[in-house]
Amino acid sequence: MITAARYELRMMLRKRSLWVSLGVIVVLLAAVGSQQVREVIRQDDPKGTMLSGALLVNIFLPVAYGCLLADRLVRDHRLGVAAILDATPASPVARLTGKYLGVCAAVTAPVALAYFGFAVAYAIASGRFAALGWALAAFALVLLPAVLFVGAFALAVPLVVPAPLFRVLFVGYWFWGNSITPDTMPTLAHSIVTPIGSYPMQELLGFRIRGGETIAGPVPGAALNFLRPEATPVTAWLSIGVLLVLAALALAAASVRPRR
Amino acid sequence: MRIDIDRLTKRYRGGVTALDGLSLEVPTGMFGLLGANGAGKTTLMRILAGLLRPTGGSVRVGEHDVTTRAGRAAVRRVLGYLPQELGVYPDLSAREFLDYVALLKGIDDRTERRRRVGEVLEIVALAGDAGRKLKGYSGGMRRRVGIAQALLAGPRLLIVDEPTAGLDPEERIRFRTLLAQLAGDRTVLLSTHIVDDVAQTCRELAVLASGALVFRGTVEELTSRASDRVWSVITAGPAPTGGTIVSAVPHAAGMRYRVVAPVSPAAGAETVEPNLEDGYLALVK
Repeated sequence: MITAARYELRMMLRKRSLWVSLGVIVVLLAAVGSQQVREVIRQDDPKGTMLSGALLVNIFLPVAYGCLLADRLVRDHRLGVAAILDATPASPVARLTGKYLGVCAAVTAPVALAYFGFAVAYAIASGRFAALGWALAAFALVLLPAVLFVGAFALAVPLVVPAPLFRVLFVGYWFWGNSITPDTMPTLAHSIVTPIGSYPMQELLGFRIRGGETIAGPVPGAALNFLRPEATPVTAWLSIGVLLVLAALALAAASVRPRR
Repeated sequence: MRIDIDRLTKRYRGGVTALDGLSLEVPTGMFGLLGANGAGKTTLMRILAGLLRPTGGSVRVGEHDVTTRAGRAAVRRVLGYLPQELGVYPDLSAREFLDYVALLKGIDDRTERRRRVGEVLEIVALAGDAGRKLKGYSGGMRRRVGIAQALLAGPRLLIVDEPTAGLDPEERIRFRTLLAQLAGDRTVLLSTHIVDDVAQTCRELAVLASGALVFRGTVEELTSRASDRVWSVITAGPAPTGGTIVSAVPHAAGMRYRVVAPVSPAAGAETVEPNLEDGYLALVK
C-alpha cells in the first residue's frame, strides 16, 4: 500500500496539469472575484477570514482535482500497466488503497499550498496569527474530507462511465449539489452528504455567512430535507463520517470490479 | 517448473469460447506456443498468470492449483509475466518503474532492490538510459523494460506473450536469444504467431487453433509434417493455385514460389526441404 501510495504521489505531482489547472483556478479566483477576496481578507476576525477562505477553496478547487483524478485508475488499463501490476504478488486491495491515498495526497499538496499560503499572507499582513490555527482546523475538518470523498469517486466512477463523461457529470453535480440554494430547486446543498462541509463548517467551527445565515440544516419548504437534520456538533461529525463511509464504499466497489 | 493443463475451458460473456477443453503438459525449459490470432494463446497465458479465471478444467503450475485463489497467489510469487499489451508509466524513469514493480514483487530491502534493478537493466542493456523518462523510449526499449520487470524477482516461470511484436529485426534476434539464455532451469513459455521465433529458440512446442490443441511435439516433428509437401515453382505465368503460397520471390525467369501442397501444384515443381513455417502451414491449412 505504501509502495503504491509513494509512486502514485510521485507521478501525480509530476503531472503538469495538476499545478496548471489548480493554479489557474486560484489566480482566476483572485482576479475575477477580487472584490469578494478583498472582503474576505478585510474581515477583522481571523476565524471568519479563514473559514470564508476555506469555503471559497472548497467550492472551486474540487472541480479541478476531481477532473484530474478521473483517469488515475482507468489509465492503468489504458496504458497497459494493469496486467503487469496484477501479475505481482501484491494485494489488489492494498494497491488500490495506496493509489487512492497517493493521489489524494498529491492533490492535497496544491490545495494546502493555496490555502495555507493565503493563511500565512493574512496572518503576516494583519498580525493575527490565530488565523493559522483556524486554517489548520478548517483544513482538517472541511478541506480534507472533501479531498477524500472526491478522490474516491473520481477513481471509482470512471470504471463504469468514460472519464470525459464523468468529468462533465462531476462538474454539474458539484455546483448542483453544493452551491444551489435548496429552496430554489431540489439539491444536496446544506445536507449531511454535502462534501463542501456545510455541517462541520457551521457546527464544529462556528461559521456563519454575514447576516447570520446558516449553511447547514433543514430549509423550510425545500425538497430532500430528510438529508438535512438539525445542525448540531453530532450531525456535523456524522456528516464527516457519512462522507468517509461513502468514499470507502466507492473504493470497495472499485476493488471488486468483475474480472472477465 | 512443470505446467499441467487438463480440459481447460474459458468462455467469455457473450458466449465466445476462447479455450475449448485444452489439455497440455509443459516441461521445464523453453516451450513455444504457436497459433493464429484468436487461437486462444493470450487467454491461456492470462489464465496461467492468474489474471483470468477459467470456466472449467484444471491448471497446475508446479504444485499450485491456479483455479484457486491461494494457488494464483502462490504462482504470482514465482512468476515473471510479459503481457502482449505491454504498457509502462510514461512519467517514471525505467529505474523508477522497475523499483516500483520490485517493491510490488516483495523485494523490500532497498539495497537488494537496487542490486536487482541494476542487474536486470544490465541484462536488457538499458543501464545507460535507466534515468530517462519512459515516455521517451522507443517500442523496442519499452519491450526491454517489460522483460526486465518480468525478471526482477528471479522467476521460476516466465510467461512472455508476443514478445517480439513491433521490434526491428536486430532487436528481435537479440530478444529471443536472451529468452533462450534465460530458460536454463526455469520454464519459459513463449507465445507468438511468429513461427521463426519458435524455430530459433524452442525444442518443443504446441499449436493452438480455435481454442484447442492441434499439435504438441518437437520442432522437428512439426517440420516433418511438411515433408514432401513443400514445392518450389518458377514461372512467368500466373501463380500456382493449388496449396498455400509461403513466399514469392522475383526470379530471372519470372517468379519463384514456395508452395505447401499435398501434390505438385504446377508443372515443373520441385520438392524442397521443409522448415518449421512449412510444417505449421501444413498442419493448420
